Amino acid sequence: MASRVLARCVRLLARPSARLCPVNAAVRAAAAPLPLNQRPFSILSCSQRTRQTDQIRIPGSLAQLCRQYGDLPPLTFESIKDRVMYVLKLYDKINPEKLQATSHFMKDLGLDSLDQVEIIMAMEDEFGFEIPDAEAEKLMTPQEIVDYIADKKDVYE
Amino acid sequence: MANPLRGEVVRLYKNLLFLGREYPKGANYFRERLKTAFMKNRDETDPEKIKTLIARGEFVIKELEALYYLRKYRALKKRYYEDD
Repeated sequence: MASRVLARCVRLLARPSARLCPVNAAVRAAAAPLPLNQRPFSILSCSQRTRQTDQIRIPGSLAQLCRQYGDLPPLTFESIKDRVMYVLKLYDKINPEKLQATSHFMKDLGLDSLDQVEIIMAMEDEFGFEIPDAEAEKLMTPQEIVDYIADKKDVYE
Repeated sequence: MANPLRGEVVRLYKNLLFLGREYPKGANYFRERLKTAFMKNRDETDPEKIKTLIARGEFVIKELEALYYLRKYRALKKRYYEDD
């Protein structure tokens, strides 16, 4: 959690800082009188970076609001699991009532290896990255898919 | 199960499935046909025969590509010369 916040601070810092460097002094003067509750990250991240982030964030508060075009909501274990289960439920050869997080595609759901390839392709579409064949053939239950995606997308508890 | 050509076959299936998404008769039609075609030879164990079948799959890929190119070409031609 802390690392995510930190990464976000760095990301916010990266672009506007180049532009704002010449006016840093002016920004600092403007930033000083602001009340504490307008500094969203001040408690969570380390002090030096916090001060810098505040200086950048306050003049750019409007810009910050409309600059999250490519920023997807962060993945969590629950959201990955929901999406995986949703994709599986829509797959026509799976009976949604029999589907469990731990059910084996071939043993419990009666699919064959070609169906499993199709499922992996659907997961690639859903999460927007490619799963190598060598690893794809090991993914045999929804839970394994969730764990694999969480591992690849750096989602931790 | 542990056939060394298994990976090849899976890759071929994946490629074909991907190409079939834009098939004129619909992705589902293509998928069913593809599945039947693969299932027909599911018990094949002779490596030579499997290789021949994979080569046939590659040929189908080429055919599909040609089909898509032709479709594109026809669409373009239609837009330029409408009274043909």
